[in-house]
Amino acid sequence: MSGERAGAAGQPGRERPEAGGRGEGSGAAGRAPGASALMLATGIAKRPVVTLGGEAVAQVRDIVFDSGGGHIVGFTLSGRRRLSGPMKRSLPWEGVYALGHDAVMIENEDALEDPGEVVERTEAKGGDVLESRVLTDGGKDVGKIVDVVVQAGTTADVVGYEIEPGDARGRHPRTAFLPRAETISVSGQALVIPALATEFMADDLPGFEAQVRAFRDRMRKGAD
Amino acid sequence: MDWWIWLVVVVAVLVVLAASALAVQARRRSGGVIAVKRRGRSGRGLK
Repeated sequence: MSGERAGAAGQPGRERPEAGGRGEGSGAAGRAPGASALMLATGIAKRPVVTLGGEAVAQVRDIVFDSGGGHIVGFTLSGRRRLSGPMKRSLPWEGVYALGHDAVMIENEDALEDPGEVVERTEAKGGDVLESRVLTDGGKDVGKIVDVVVQAGTTADVVGYEIEPGDARGRHPRTAFLPRAETISVSGQALVIPALATEFMADDLPGFEAQVRAFRDRMRKGAD
Repeated sequence: MDWWIWLVVVVAVLVVLAASALAVQARRRSGGVIAVKRRGRSGRGLK
């Protein structure tokens, strides 16, 4: 687990590890408190959900985020066994103790809630953004979403998307990283972004963090 | 038909059913990234 930060909820005096982890290309070990790491959402899926008592109670199935602010709302879960299907419990972000490189830690099974606490069944059906097309507000098709970039610190937020450009060809087309706009329209079919966001695309994850910052600065200046 | 042909058919059917069940279960277990609309600030875990 990465980093350390004080103040475990309900556990006076116990050190609580910081959320996040050694996301792709972002060595998190020994990070200062408050630091954050970029990781891909598909890397979070299938991570085991483990209690502080060491019991693996589930594994992550869906990552659910708020399309308005980009905040991670929680996770839907599936069972740990090979033949077990989706669980009738979900994990709201409030119940996450630490989002680590290898596991999602919770204090105990009380952190698990009814599925509706994270996402309603109707929302889940049409809300998957993977494979959605990305369109600019000018009507240009930028590509399709192959992954989602999550910045995990004390909170976890979706900061961008990994896309496969529309003109990509071949068996291993190159992907690019696109910052998530503050005001965005997103659905299971298409994601509409400001055309400006395409000017802040990055080729790799390490370089993406700076592009996200630059894009947000630019959006802020535009709003002023 | 010889009895062993029926045995092969039964075994083949069982294998196909088992493979189908595993494939369906794998698809049910495979997740995604779901966008939802929430009012107010959400996702304030790790307090």
